[in-house]
Amino acid sequence: MQLWQLFWTVSLVAAGASFAFITLVVMIRGARDLREMIRDLGRQREEDSG
Amino acid sequence: MNFAAVDWIIIVGYLAVSLAIGILGKRYVGNVAHFLVAGRELGLYIGIATLAATEIGTITYMYNGELGYKYGFASFAAALISGIVMIVVGRTGFIIGRFRELKLMTVPEYFEVKYSRGLRIVTGLLVALGGILNMGVFLKVEGEFLTIVSGIDGRYLVAVMTVILLLELTYTVLGGMVSVVITDFIQYVLLSIATILVSIYAVYHAGWGQIVAKVTTTMGEAGFNPVVNPKFGLTFLLWQVLLWFAVHTCWQTTAMRVFSTKSPETSKRVMTWTGFIFLGRGMLPMLWGIAALTLLGSGALNGGIPQPVVNGQTLAPIDAMPAMLAQILGPGVRGIVVAGMLAATMSVNSSYLLGWSAVISQDVILPIRQAFGRGPLSSGKQIFVNRLANLFVSLFLMFWGLYYTPPGAVYLYLNITGTIFLAGAFVCVVGGLYWRRANTTGGYFAMVLGAAGAVIPYFFLGWGENVTGFAAFGLAAGGLIIGSLVGRSRAVQSPETAAAD
Repeated sequence: MQLWQLFWTVSLVAAGASFAFITLVVMIRGARDLREMIRDLGRQREEDSG
Repeated sequence: MNFAAVDWIIIVGYLAVSLAIGILGKRYVGNVAHFLVAGRELGLYIGIATLAATEIGTITYMYNGELGYKYGFASFAAALISGIVMIVVGRTGFIIGRFRELKLMTVPEYFEVKYSRGLRIVTGLLVALGGILNMGVFLKVEGEFLTIVSGIDGRYLVAVMTVILLLELTYTVLGGMVSVVITDFIQYVLLSIATILVSIYAVYHAGWGQIVAKVTTTMGEAGFNPVVNPKFGLTFLLWQVLLWFAVHTCWQTTAMRVFSTKSPETSKRVMTWTGFIFLGRGMLPMLWGIAALTLLGSGALNGGIPQPVVNGQTLAPIDAMPAMLAQILGPGVRGIVVAGMLAATMSVNSSYLLGWSAVISQDVILPIRQAFGRGPLSSGKQIFVNRLANLFVSLFLMFWGLYYTPPGAVYLYLNITGTIFLAGAFVCVVGGLYWRRANTTGGYFAMVLGAAGAVIPYFFLGWGENVTGFAAFGLAAGGLIIGSLVGRSRAVQSPETAAAD
C-alpha cells in the first residue's frame, strides 16, 4: 500500500505540474496561433469569393 | 444563495464576452470545411487548447470527482491510462496520422472511402445515437453542479440550463468550428485557472495527511491499489486501455480536432501534448472528490463508503465535490471557479453539438439523399442542414437530459454509451487501415455486433460495465474477422489510393 501511495503522490504532482505548465505555454502562444488562423481563414474566404 | 455581487458580475461578464466573440466567428465561415473543420488551419497551441477544452467539461469534473469519492486513489488508474494512451497515439500517429492525410470531416466519412456508402450511413446512425445518448446526461449533471455551488433554487435548474444551451447553440449554429475554436481558447484558459485554484483550495482545506488517512481508514488497500479494488481489477484496467485507444482515435469530437489541424505532423503533436493535460484532467478532479470525502464523508455507509452529509442532509456521492466547493470557496474566487466551470461546460457542449450534428448531416442525411439519386448539395446548403441538425440535437438533449437518470456511476454510463459505436468503429478503422482483407460485410457485422454487445448486456441483462465493454469490442472484432473472411464485398482500398481518390 505504501508503494501505491508513493506512486500516486508522484503521479499527481507530475500531472498537476504538467497541467499548469502546458496551460501557461498555451495561454501565451495560443493567442498567436489564433491570430494566424483568423488571418488564414480570411485569406481563404477572399480566394473563394474572388 | 451562495453568490455575492462580485461573483455574478464575473459570471455575466464571461457569458457576454463569450457569446460576442463566438458570434464574431461567423464572418470567417465561407464554406462547409470552414464550418466543420475551421478550414484545417489549427496550429499546435490552439489545437491543444481546443482539444483540451472539448474534452474537459463540468461533466468531466463531476464524474471524476464521483470516482475519487467512491474509489479513492485507485481511481487515478483511469486517468493515468487515458493520458498515457493519448501520448502513445500522438507519438506513433496510430490511426490519427492516416485520418488527417485523408482530409476527412467526420469519422463515418472514412467508412464510405474504405467500405461503402451503406456502411457509412449505418455507422453515422450508430455514432449519432451513441454520441447523443452520451451527451444526454450532461445538462442534468452540469445543472446539479451549478445549483449546488451557486445556491440557485433547484426549481430554476431547467431555466438556467436552457439559457446556457441557447447561448452555446447560438454561436455554434452561426460560426461552427471557427466560433467553437475561438471560444474554446478563452474557455480553456478560464477552466484551467479554475482547475488549479480548486486543487489548491481542496488540498489546503482538507489537508494532505487527512486525505490519505481518510482513504486508508475507509477503503484500506482497495483505496490505493486498483488491481485489488473490487470495482476495478485487471479486467477494468485492460478495458480502459482498449476504450481509450478507441476514444482518442475514433471519438467524433476528438477526431474533428485532428481533421482541423494544419498537417498530420501537427495533429500528432497536438495529441501528444494534450495527453499530458489528460493526466491532470482526470487526477485533479478525482483529488477534489477525495477531499470531499475527507471533509463531508460522515454519513451512513453505502457500499463501505460513508455518504456525504451537508447541514444534516445526505447527498449523493457525485454531489459531494460541488457541495465542498460551496463551502470552501470565498466570494470572488467562487465566481472565477463557476465561470471556469461554465467555460468548461460551454466548450464541451458546443463541440459536442457540432460533432454529433455534423455526423447527422454529413453521414446520414446527405448520403441518404445521394442514395435516392439526388445531386450533391452546395456548400451553403450543407451548412444549413448542419444548423438544422444542431437544433434537433439541442431539443433532444433538453428532453433526455431532464427525464433520464443513469444507473450507477456517471463515468461508467458514459463509457457504455460511447461503446455503442466506438467498439465497431474502432475495429473497422483498425481493420480498414491495417488489414487488407477487411471488407464491407465484415464492417456491417462489426458495427451491428459491437452496438448489440454494448446495449443488450448493459441495459437489458444488467451486466457490469467491464464485461459489457469487453463483450462489445470482442463481438465487433469477431464480426469483422468472420464477416470479412466469408463475405465477398468490395475490397478495402489502401489509404494512399483513397486519398488520391
